[in-house]
Amino acid sequence: MKSTKSNLTRRRLLASGLAAPFVSMMPGVLTPARANETVKLQFMYPVGVSGDINTIISGMISDFNATHDGIEVEAIYAGSYDNTEQKVITALGVGEPPALWLPINSSLQTFLGLDALEDITEQAKSDDIYDDFIGGFLNTAVSDDRLYGLSYQPSTPVLYYNKDAFGALGIAKAPETWDELFETAKALTIRDGDELKRWGLTIGGGWHDWMFEGYCRQNGLVPWEKDKVLWDRPEAIEALSFWKTMVDAGCMAPASTWQGSANDFMAGSTAMLYHSTGSLTNLRKSSPFEVGVAFMPKKKQWGASQGGGPIMIAKKQSDAKKEAAWTFARWMTNTENQAAWSRATGYLAVRKSSWEQPEMQQYLAEVPQAEVAMKQAQYSGAFLQVPAYSRARDSLKSAIDRTLAGEIAPAAALTDATAEVNREITRVLRRQKG
Amino acid sequence: MSHAFARARRNEMLLAYALLLPSLVFLAIFTYWPILRSVWFSLHDVLLGDPDIYWLGAENYLRLLEDRLFWKVLGNTAFYTLTTIPLSIAAALLLAVALDSKLRGMAIYRSAFFYPVMIPSVAAGMLWVFLYAPGYGPINEALTSLGLPRLDWLYDSKWALPAIVIMSIWKYSGYFMLILLAALKLVPSDLYEAARLDGVSARHRLLHITIPLISPTLYFVIIIGTLHSYQIFDYVYVMTQGGPADSTNVLTYYIYQNGFQYQDIGYASALANALLVFVLGLIGLVAVTLGRKVHYLGER
Repeated sequence: MKSTKSNLTRRRLLASGLAAPFVSMMPGVLTPARANETVKLQFMYPVGVSGDINTIISGMISDFNATHDGIEVEAIYAGSYDNTEQKVITALGVGEPPALWLPINSSLQTFLGLDALEDITEQAKSDDIYDDFIGGFLNTAVSDDRLYGLSYQPSTPVLYYNKDAFGALGIAKAPETWDELFETAKALTIRDGDELKRWGLTIGGGWHDWMFEGYCRQNGLVPWEKDKVLWDRPEAIEALSFWKTMVDAGCMAPASTWQGSANDFMAGSTAMLYHSTGSLTNLRKSSPFEVGVAFMPKKKQWGASQGGGPIMIAKKQSDAKKEAAWTFARWMTNTENQAAWSRATGYLAVRKSSWEQPEMQQYLAEVPQAEVAMKQAQYSGAFLQVPAYSRARDSLKSAIDRTLAGEIAPAAALTDATAEVNREITRVLRRQKG
Repeated sequence: MSHAFARARRNEMLLAYALLLPSLVFLAIFTYWPILRSVWFSLHDVLLGDPDIYWLGAENYLRLLEDRLFWKVLGNTAFYTLTTIPLSIAAALLLAVALDSKLRGMAIYRSAFFYPVMIPSVAAGMLWVFLYAPGYGPINEALTSLGLPRLDWLYDSKWALPAIVIMSIWKYSGYFMLILLAALKLVPSDLYEAARLDGVSARHRLLHITIPLISPTLYFVIIIGTLHSYQIFDYVYVMTQGGPADSTNVLTYYIYQNGFQYQDIGYASALANALLVFVLGLIGLVAVTLGRKVHYLGER
């Protein structure tokens, strides 16, 4: 008898031991015990520029975890902006999004179309976000007057130039207009017979559609509206024709890659480079020559589109997680962190107070190049915030590439791409209307 | 008596089905069900990340017809298949014949030519990005030293796809070579001896003895090669991302772009079904043309 009883007890013990891990996974069970537990957040982020961004972000996140009891952020480096977006969307598809993510600002309508974003307007209003954030940056996360993210790493493209190369030719200042740009690029190009030794100008490939939007803005056109793209307008066609002229003249590289173009610039095989301000610190420190930074040259006016993106918070998660996510997003964008992040990378600090910090003032005195993009930002706006923006970007890049390769004329390429993309946008909107 | 025989036979059948069942289950879950699902999805508006789907009928297929890029991608895929397979099999055959000798040190050569097969495709892709680099790449250096013009390779819309074809030949021919080598070992050597005694040239021995006798294996290699070639995705993803100017965009990559980058699962499914038809058509074509010419040794 005795032995049977002890057997049963042991069996029950074993059974409960096996069940315990499953029970604790069930939602709603053991909630009281969990209230004191750490809230775990996943944060997916990309590396969108040249340089060791990964180490910098992981460092910030360890600092956050060390100073915040009860919240543990897991940093997930997700590749490029495209990779990051795909991972988040796939996770949304199976109903388990990360708590926060950092996409390109153009993806705002895409995520809103999936009803994935937490509206943080009220929290931001009761905080100092609307007062202290620079308006142009905050606006890239605004749709219909509601705020869906905290601007974290805004950037614009700028014109980087090799000061030594300029000096050797006696060119005193960076080009300020398209015509000057063309002349300067021609002067800087070096050929040895048929072999090219140095391009005058390279427009960072992979994001050349972003630069192209800047060219449209410089020519007086914002080339998209909420529900269509306007690349078939004369201002846009003129911009692409100008690129084609520079390529045909042999002073601008017809194609490049994002990392490759930065490497080419640092190696001296191109003298001028359009790249993100987020690459500033890396380009400045890794180039064996003095790096100049200037506004992108203008046609009718200065103009640029903002790259980079806001930290977004998932709508479909528990309130505890949302609260913790807000704490984290708020911390990543606080005055000190934004100032330090900006100095480490070249991205633009999103807060006015960050720019007023003594460390930041001193940095600007030492590295006046860092201020260029900030000044240019006043002429900038959001980048291609249309539905189906990812397809739109690829379509535009293909149109530009085919034009520069001489396969098609600028007007035909842009007219085709516009018709193609607007058809897709209509399709996506039809779906959203139901 | 006959009852007992029938029962034994039925038991044998049951055993066979029982043994086949596990792999059938896997095939059903990971192959047939997804195919059926993709046909279903292709008739709907399906957005990645959104559980709601809307009926469209044939719209996704009509889109194929007006999609300029789809036709370009189809052409690229066909170009890749029709160059890579014949060239890599021809290279493999020549290598196999050359290495099918009992000379000392042949094992080293065989390993050397098989080596590319063992390199992971992403690593191989990165390696060739370096080899093809316009400025400092070894291939351009070699061209210069031969007095030939330098090329922009992966940056040039005319050369990017041929560049991937060249690399694929390097990658695949070692694998085909190994299979063909095994087949060569089975060709009776007295046939060669007789031919040699009759003064038949090496070229004729290859054409009239070797190729007919290994034709079942060649056929197998062609089918495998066709299947490999339409699956090309990793090289495109690593080396060019479909560019420049869509010149290296192939069907599998375009499906990936539509499904995951553009979230357009419905259209991606329609594309996947177009790919299925493309591959079945190609294999069918190979079967009715080359398949009929296959000579099986000992066949009556």
